[in-house]
Amino acid sequence: MSRSKKTIPHYYLGTTVDLQAAVAWMRAVNAQRPVSARLVPAALLLKACALAARQVPEVNGFYTEARFRPSQAVHLGVAVALREGGLVAPAIHDADTLTVDQLMERLRDVVTRARAGRLRRAEIADPTLTVTALGDLGVDTVYGVIYPPQVALVGFGRVRERPWAQDGMLAVRQSVTATLSADHRVSDGLRGGRFLDLVDEMLQRPEDL
Amino acid sequence: MNEHEARAAVYAAITQVAPDVETQGLDDRSRLRQDLELDSLDFLALVEHLARHAGVDVPEGDYGRVGTVASLIAYVAEHA
Repeated sequence: MSRSKKTIPHYYLGTTVDLQAAVAWMRAVNAQRPVSARLVPAALLLKACALAARQVPEVNGFYTEARFRPSQAVHLGVAVALREGGLVAPAIHDADTLTVDQLMERLRDVVTRARAGRLRRAEIADPTLTVTALGDLGVDTVYGVIYPPQVALVGFGRVRERPWAQDGMLAVRQSVTATLSADHRVSDGLRGGRFLDLVDEMLQRPEDL
Repeated sequence: MNEHEARAAVYAAITQVAPDVETQGLDDRSRLRQDLELDSLDFLALVEHLARHAGVDVPEGDYGRVGTVASLIAYVAEHA
């Protein structure tokens, strides 16, 4: 952590994303399914990040030996809090190529094994971009610390209902604050903002994720 | 299912998902998420365990009704 803050010039962006469509779609899907096949919002958030990372390569890769090496593959690190304290962020490999159902399965698998202390070495070593999602608990906004040699970290705060102004009307909608902590040697606010915009756009069409 | 059986089923599910939680002497008013610190995946695993071992399906629309240990026990007793 301290190495990260010493060597990486972090910058931070944040935006509030309308999740009404995504949550409604997920609930409709879940209502038809047994518990074992149900989705959580994190699966949709991860998939949107993986797809957006493909289009903004400046957030996906490693900064080593004074230069940035973008990654062709998107291996999403998932920050997992351990019950006894501490944090690990194992990778879901090629997350951009997985369906939401496959991603959900991988998420459950990797979190279960992380908590049991049964991760493979490669899983811990090679995420190209890390995501932390606080789910339906906790605070509204999380600004993460980048895991070197990665160059960005995406944070999702608590998914909950919030007042939402649109077309001159005030409504109550499910939403989440998405943040990006990124390495200013590699990207800037314009490209970082583009990444968050893409995440937002994709979450408006959950059926296409 | 009576309250005693429902309590045993709920304790077994909690122990499975969160082995560090001591169910003996557990306060019924404990909130599953905030106090026992179950995240959304833990909660899903808890609900799945209850479906498999107690035969109780908690649909997502009812998640809000089972926020505490006491309310989950009551729900299981009522629906099993």
